[in-house]
Amino acid sequence: MIRFNLNKGSVIITGLLMFFTCELYGNENHIVHVLDSKGKPIIHALVIWGENQAIGVDGSGYFHLSEAWDENTKIEIHAMGYDSQTVIVRDLIKKSVVVLQEKIGQLGEVVVAATRTDRSVENLPMPVTVISQEKIRETGGMRLSDVLREQTGLQVVANHGAGLQMQGLSSDYILILLDGEPLIGRTAGTFDLDRLAVSNIERIEILRGPSSAIYGSEAMAGIINIITKNSTEKRSATIESRFRSFQTFDLSTEVGFNENDWQALAYYNRFSTAGYDLNPEVIGRTQTPYTAHTGQLKMGKKFSDHWDARIFTRTYTEDAENTLGIMQDGLIQTGRMEGNRRDFNLNPTLQFRPNDQWLLTLRGMSSVFQTRSRTEFMEDGSLLDLQEFRQFYHRTEFQSDYQFNPNNLFTLGAGHLIETVEATRYNDLNRFDAAYLFIQHQWEPQEKWNMVSGIRADLHSQYGGRLSPKVSALYTFSDAFSWQASVGAGFKAPDFRQLLLNFNNASAGYYVFGANLVQEGISRLQEQGLVNQVLLDPSGFGTLEAEHSWALNTGFRWNPSKDFLVQANLFRNQISNLIETAPVARLTSGQNAFSYFNVARVVTQGAEVDVTHRLGAAFQVSLGYMFLDTRDLDVLDRIDQGTIFKRDESNRTRRVTRSDYGGLFNRSRHSGNIKLNYSEVNTGISLALRGIYRGTFGFGDVNGNLILDDPSEYAPGILSWNLTLSKTFQNGILLETGGLNLTNQMNIHDPLNPGRTFFAGMRLPFHQMFP
Amino acid sequence: MKNSIKYVCLSLAVAMSVACNDDAEVHPVVELEAVTVENLAAPNDVIDRTTGTVTEERPFQYFSFESNGLVGSVEADWDVAFKGTTILVNSGISGPGEAKGAVVQGIFDEMEQIPASINLQSDGENGLAIPTGSGNGWYNYNPATNIVSPIPGRVLVFQTNRGNMVKVEILSYYKNNPPLSSVDPMASPSAHYTFRYVLQPDGSNTF
Repeated sequence: MIRFNLNKGSVIITGLLMFFTCELYGNENHIVHVLDSKGKPIIHALVIWGENQAIGVDGSGYFHLSEAWDENTKIEIHAMGYDSQTVIVRDLIKKSVVVLQEKIGQLGEVVVAATRTDRSVENLPMPVTVISQEKIRETGGMRLSDVLREQTGLQVVANHGAGLQMQGLSSDYILILLDGEPLIGRTAGTFDLDRLAVSNIERIEILRGPSSAIYGSEAMAGIINIITKNSTEKRSATIESRFRSFQTFDLSTEVGFNENDWQALAYYNRFSTAGYDLNPEVIGRTQTPYTAHTGQLKMGKKFSDHWDARIFTRTYTEDAENTLGIMQDGLIQTGRMEGNRRDFNLNPTLQFRPNDQWLLTLRGMSSVFQTRSRTEFMEDGSLLDLQEFRQFYHRTEFQSDYQFNPNNLFTLGAGHLIETVEATRYNDLNRFDAAYLFIQHQWEPQEKWNMVSGIRADLHSQYGGRLSPKVSALYTFSDAFSWQASVGAGFKAPDFRQLLLNFNNASAGYYVFGANLVQEGISRLQEQGLVNQVLLDPSGFGTLEAEHSWALNTGFRWNPSKDFLVQANLFRNQISNLIETAPVARLTSGQNAFSYFNVARVVTQGAEVDVTHRLGAAFQVSLGYMFLDTRDLDVLDRIDQGTIFKRDESNRTRRVTRSDYGGLFNRSRHSGNIKLNYSEVNTGISLALRGIYRGTFGFGDVNGNLILDDPSEYAPGILSWNLTLSKTFQNGILLETGGLNLTNQMNIHDPLNPGRTFFAGMRLPFHQMFP
Repeated sequence: MKNSIKYVCLSLAVAMSVACNDDAEVHPVVELEAVTVENLAAPNDVIDRTTGTVTEERPFQYFSFESNGLVGSVEADWDVAFKGTTILVNSGISGPGEAKGAVVQGIFDEMEQIPASINLQSDGENGLAIPTGSGNGWYNYNPATNIVSPIPGRVLVFQTNRGNMVKVEILSYYKNNPPLSSVDPMASPSAHYTFRYVLQPDGSNTF
């Protein structure tokens, strides 16, 4: 079996078609339709019989019975992503329909993110999961955060927006890709998942484990690759809307065409919410009310069998308004805060396939991200604060894939990027330049083995060079059982804030300097006579290195029947050189000046398990669980030295012991989910009930020693029951309703959880309603 | 700004015990007991948020361990002074006296002797005896929650103006010594010190 192929599918077909026998027309009255479990034709199905003889179905999923067969001939219906089915011709004459079932657990799905080539989940040697469009819809979600928080091993955590957490690592270390291109724009390291609408997503690929070997910086914990829809219909137009509690309204429209090797899909989404307030005594709403608009256009043209061009563009705007309490002279005054975010992407791609062995891709990617935040006093309109931030990112990349033989696929990529940033808190316009080169080899030495190995070299104007290798292998013991392991390096380059920040908190009197500015900043303060004492050796200033990690991921897939699947992955991430702030000088005012340093060492380790069981055609039950253990090694050292203390309830001071230590904040030791799905094809009714559990986690320091070591520092675990009901009519119209967090489980330490919400929605596919 | 201080546990409980040995000599042993001072109010200067300049200067609150009370002015016999999170000792740049201080890592109740390695300092141009700033001296400041919390396991030791040793543990920066978990920085009045101390009046460095 060929596991990786440049020209996926087509090679398998041509291989088989070599033995093609001429169809005879005696049975031409007997037409058989190949459908999926939703009743949609499978247009890439193959009908195989005898010794490698095959025919394909037509563009509507039909095939004719061949004269070469008699009524006892066994034929196999095969389609990528589906369980194959063997039928006897006699039965086909009676039924004329073959229904293939999708492989359990999205095993048959194609994944691009893991290797930058098309591979199916089933035989990738690293932990990958795919969330299909159907699964996205089942969550009833409107923004990406709604979808990802229901996945095993992922948490969505509030920190300057809805940030993802994967394998215990925070949003800073997770690369978010849109159609394979990185999305920029982070606030204090967090990529806010609420910036992304989901109604235009075809599938989401989740790759766990460091992937700096092909993606470079930020891909330390893993990758989320969002694949947007392509236009597959000749003409299509869809309107879709959802209402949810808190006056939340989501409206999407989509118009597409696909004709004469041209395809285009335009998408527009408007989202608005009135937000909610978990703490009414405090001025301002917990979730800021905002309105967001997303526009996307994806166009492609196939010029010939060799040349292909695509262009993708996206624009996003978000306008928010909230109030906040400002403490001044012991009195609380009300301030009005306005926030705006703008985001623009332009990604052109050109592909050339000189022959079956080579694929050359040239990609461009330009992106602008800007934010503005203005706060004024409500009373007299005087300005309190104005912050602006503007980031520009451009990347050009060339990738060549070479299929040396069916067992060896080589990929070579090279690129360069320019990044600039201008902001209120940074001096001038700052520019970074970087270049990189990566090589990857996909190899199938034997039928049972397959390997992916790669290395990437990054050269950066700020932090120098970095080499990131990764090796992954999968061994298939039997059709039912396979084991994979991967070892890789990850890194995250120091960000703008860590290098360039020039911030003075006037009211509190402290300063924060990025590593590049600290020398100059401290000299300036010294000249002004503000420095009392320099706390760190100035020669160590300004040498900030990338944060880096080594990680192991290993696990198995056990698929004893087509209706039962167990997937497990054990992981350990060892991260060093974590960047944190530390005081560099004491000022005469008594306050400190801070800068950024490579200090901390952290370990995250654990296990992720998913069990899926299909009960007949309509029912499926699945269970997911993650165990997570995190620790700061420097904190452990200090505990061992007896230099961390705590106060108990009666205010007595004692030393913290290892057994008190709870690891990193905001990490749940236990989390999991249970999902029950019912989906009936004939009536179009489907139901998805999910219980999502996030175990107890440390929300912050309470007893003053800055580490997690006290029962009062834990937020309780929460089980949220979510239900979605939908009905799809023959003409494609879909109606849905449901509720999230039905038992209204709340927790003041999770500002992203508003409690119970209800929603209702509808989808109108005009091209299906009026064909 | 004469804020009230509630004096509690004012009694230095003196217990007399008799050591029974052959010499039948009688040693009076003074059992030292910790004194708790509650709600010593020492508001910080008023600072303009946008410029960082002080718009209204407020006085330091001068405290004497010996008399367990505030004294009126910098000229009086005081040991330490409080304003906002800053603590001064009466010497060097801060006052005319001879008081000194240092921050020691350890447990207040366990500290039976001031370690010989401790270098008691006066307030000087190069820094105060009790260093200021989050994490340097007696407190941590959490910029996310705006809470000032005394660092557990930091004991402040002082030599009073009269030359006696004192060990001090600061319990709270907020009025009425609330548990840290119930401090609301918007509502709980800050710069209200609650601390306990033990003074060794015999001039030795043991407690």
